[in-house]
Amino acid sequence: MKELFPIKQVMGFVFSLILTAVALLVYFVDMSFTAGMTILLVTAFVQAGLQLVVFMHAGETEDKAAIYSNVYFGILVALVTIFGTLLIFVWDM
Amino acid sequence: MDFFDRFAVPHPSFLIYASMVAIGLTVIAVLVGITYFKKWDYLWREWLTTVDHKRIGIMYLISALLMLFRGGVDAIMLRAQLAIPDNKLLESQHYNEVFSTHGVVMILFMAMPFIMFFFNFVVPLQIGARDVAFPRLNAISFWLFFMGAMLFNISFVIGGSPDAGWTSYFPLAGNDFSTSVGSNYYMIAIQIAGIGTLMTGINFITTIFKMRAPGMKLMQMPMFTWSALISNLIIVFAFPVLTVLLAMGTMDRLFDTKFFAIGDGGSDMLWANLFWVWGHPEVYILILPAFGLFSEIISTFARRNLYGYKSMVASMVVISAFSFFVWAHHFFTMGQGALANSFFSITTMAIAVPTGVKIFNWLFTLWKGKIEFTTPMLYAMHFLPLFTLGGVTGVMLAMSAADYQYHNTMFLVAHFHNVIIPGVVYAMLGGLTYYWPKMFGFMLNERIGKWTVWLMSIGFVLAFIPMYITGLDGQARRMYTYSEATGFGPLNMVAFIGAGIMAISFALLVYNIYYSVRYSPRNIGNDPWNARTLEWATHTPVPEYNFAVMPQVKSTEAFWDAKKNGHEIFKGKIEKIHMPNSSGLPFIMSCIFFVFGFSMIFSIWPLAIISLLGILGCLVYRSFEKDHGHYIPVEEIEETETKLRGAK
Amino acid sequence: MKIDHSLPLEYSTEENRLKIFGFWIFLGAEIMLFATLFTSYFVYENRSGNGPTGAEIFELSPVLMETILLLASSFTIGLGIHAMRLGKQKAMMSFFAVTLVLGLGFLGFEIFEFTTYIHEGAGLSTSGFTSMLLTTLGTHGLHVTLGFFWGLFIILQVKKRGLTPETANKSFIFSLYWHFLDVVWIFIFSFIYLKGMM
Repeated sequence: MKELFPIKQVMGFVFSLILTAVALLVYFVDMSFTAGMTILLVTAFVQAGLQLVVFMHAGETEDKAAIYSNVYFGILVALVTIFGTLLIFVWDM
Repeated sequence: MDFFDRFAVPHPSFLIYASMVAIGLTVIAVLVGITYFKKWDYLWREWLTTVDHKRIGIMYLISALLMLFRGGVDAIMLRAQLAIPDNKLLESQHYNEVFSTHGVVMILFMAMPFIMFFFNFVVPLQIGARDVAFPRLNAISFWLFFMGAMLFNISFVIGGSPDAGWTSYFPLAGNDFSTSVGSNYYMIAIQIAGIGTLMTGINFITTIFKMRAPGMKLMQMPMFTWSALISNLIIVFAFPVLTVLLAMGTMDRLFDTKFFAIGDGGSDMLWANLFWVWGHPEVYILILPAFGLFSEIISTFARRNLYGYKSMVASMVVISAFSFFVWAHHFFTMGQGALANSFFSITTMAIAVPTGVKIFNWLFTLWKGKIEFTTPMLYAMHFLPLFTLGGVTGVMLAMSAADYQYHNTMFLVAHFHNVIIPGVVYAMLGGLTYYWPKMFGFMLNERIGKWTVWLMSIGFVLAFIPMYITGLDGQARRMYTYSEATGFGPLNMVAFIGAGIMAISFALLVYNIYYSVRYSPRNIGNDPWNARTLEWATHTPVPEYNFAVMPQVKSTEAFWDAKKNGHEIFKGKIEKIHMPNSSGLPFIMSCIFFVFGFSMIFSIWPLAIISLLGILGCLVYRSFEKDHGHYIPVEEIEETETKLRGAK
Repeated sequence: MKIDHSLPLEYSTEENRLKIFGFWIFLGAEIMLFATLFTSYFVYENRSGNGPTGAEIFELSPVLMETILLLASSFTIGLGIHAMRLGKQKAMMSFFAVTLVLGLGFLGFEIFEFTTYIHEGAGLSTSGFTSMLLTTLGTHGLHVTLGFFWGLFIILQVKKRGLTPETANKSFIFSLYWHFLDVVWIFIFSFIYLKGMM
């Protein structure tokens, strides 16, 4: 039975629950917008990275470099699109 | 009868009724012809169900040429309407429909399938693969594109064409201002074709990354394959934006969401924003493969290896990222602040740098080359100066302050035609001439070909250079007429003559195909151009399995080194070859997609739900299906090889 | 079909390796799909017209339940793949079944959440904000729904055909998809709900 629950994945799950709990701080604790957003950004991206590495085995084959480049490129383009649009529509309108 | 009213064209005219009759007669003629010659079985077995990348490529080519004709006719109508002041040839509504469909057809249903044709036909051969990574997905991509294109094209005889421009900005494209189903056609037909394109992107990235011939490193890939890789990378990240955007537009039109509404918190500007988040990368999706083709053509006919291989690759990688950083230059006048405009202005100017690097690399490749002016090379030689001109006017448009003068004028129209025609169209036609012998086993006539190039360029210069001038003088784009007092008349007449010459040039291309089919010699061998890359190393016509023995590659120009430096690329003996099975599912599923799209456009909900279930049923069937492909036995390969060698 | 026994079953043939790689590329496209939805959401966030705002309609408890269910399902499908690599077909199928049940629970809460929104006057055509909110959540929910049926068919195939290179490959790819949906949910949870209630 024990071999079915590898320690790495169990730890990963526990850690993701902890990250969720930390993110919940922004709801329960009164804090500034900047502080709240910082917490959310950190917990969300750490948690996403956790899924990618621990559960999705992104780095287990010879295609590691291509797979990570693909994900990084996606994130880069996604962030530019989001922040560029915010610049146009919110921050500099 | 109420039910059928929705299919009526809202602004009928003699031309539309004539088209209806013509389409009806053509369809009947084709159906009768296939039946009479008993070709149904052949058509189904060899084409509709094929998963062979070469045949899918040829089907893309045929679609692209048909759409080039359709878009070209639209273009002639536009220029004819503007040829003289206060012209009454087209009404304003009809003019709106024509320029909208001209744009969509030329970009999405002509240029896109044309580059898909090159991806499909050339890339697997250039990297020494036997097919693409997912042959059946490839067939689905083609058929979804094809059904999307057909759906879009029936709009002008059933229900009315889209009339809000190829950009289809809201609120103009919303229900308040576009009351016909035209904009529904736009949203849904492009959506269906776009899903196919996205799958092509995934397919070719996987093919290029995972299926290269043994020994071929990434930095040894032929330049066209590199350009295809980068272009598909952009497809994968740009097309999802279009998917979401069109879904939002569809929901606004059909389900009364408030995305682009004027009140209720809607933001019509977001359409323009997201459209160009997709739209600007889209132009690089088109131009990069064109650059790749020119790289192949120029190095082949300058008889030199490509100058600056690494900088060529680097500049394309930079372009792939930067193409996502510049979109707001399409709407500098929309009302955002100076900071945003400056940012996008600078990124736009920056993207001219890697493009300039490529231009200089081509020039240095020509330097001290033994240049041979074949038809493909002539296209490349006309491309260089004309495209540079278009690029320079692009930098002018990039300056956000100055753009207030150019915005929405003919200057802009001249600019983007100036990059797309000498850039993309010349590459497509030059590449077509270049790869024609590999596809069909004979060359296109060189003499007629050169006439075509020269007429194309003369027509192009006459048609578009005047627009720069009238644009700077204030002639707005998308206006169906102008008064004599504006003084735009003479230059627009020149433009009309230019468009006519381009039409003649296109007719000449068609005549060239006819002429060459009849008179061109057939014994041209495998390598008629004395080329440098792997696709010329296999037989003409290319056998089903591409290469009897997998090529071994040691250098960038594997075939050239095999010819000149004695590299041996075909080592080892023939083994049985695993090939994918043909399948009718892609075609059938895409037909159901067509029905689904049609019923969505006309809000026929029961049919939409039934066809959606049909699509899901196809997916489920595929999931449970067992399909292990088949093997071609050694004897059969040897037989084919002997026959093809004999044909030489 | 050449089978390479030195690799896990799901990677053992050339075709399998192509499929896994291709799916990663597809996930790249999915990143951009959801990024577009987020982009639009941030534009509409404060454009609620005459309709309710996010702070007025968001409630923590159903959202937290959905989060925990989806995180747990992501964990169990990871265990399923681990069991598959150990060759334990029964354990793998159980983990997959648990995953799908958790997914179904998630969908249940989401449907409850949607009906509440509509009840509170936050329908699809109320305002730019509600249109976008429901579309973003709906797109994710649709992915989960499709994933549920996809996973169901894979369990059926594993049951019928056993653990072959083909079924193992399908299961692995499905697990990638499911984890990805969890990643998307984390961003929805953080930047739609928590940010909205902050």
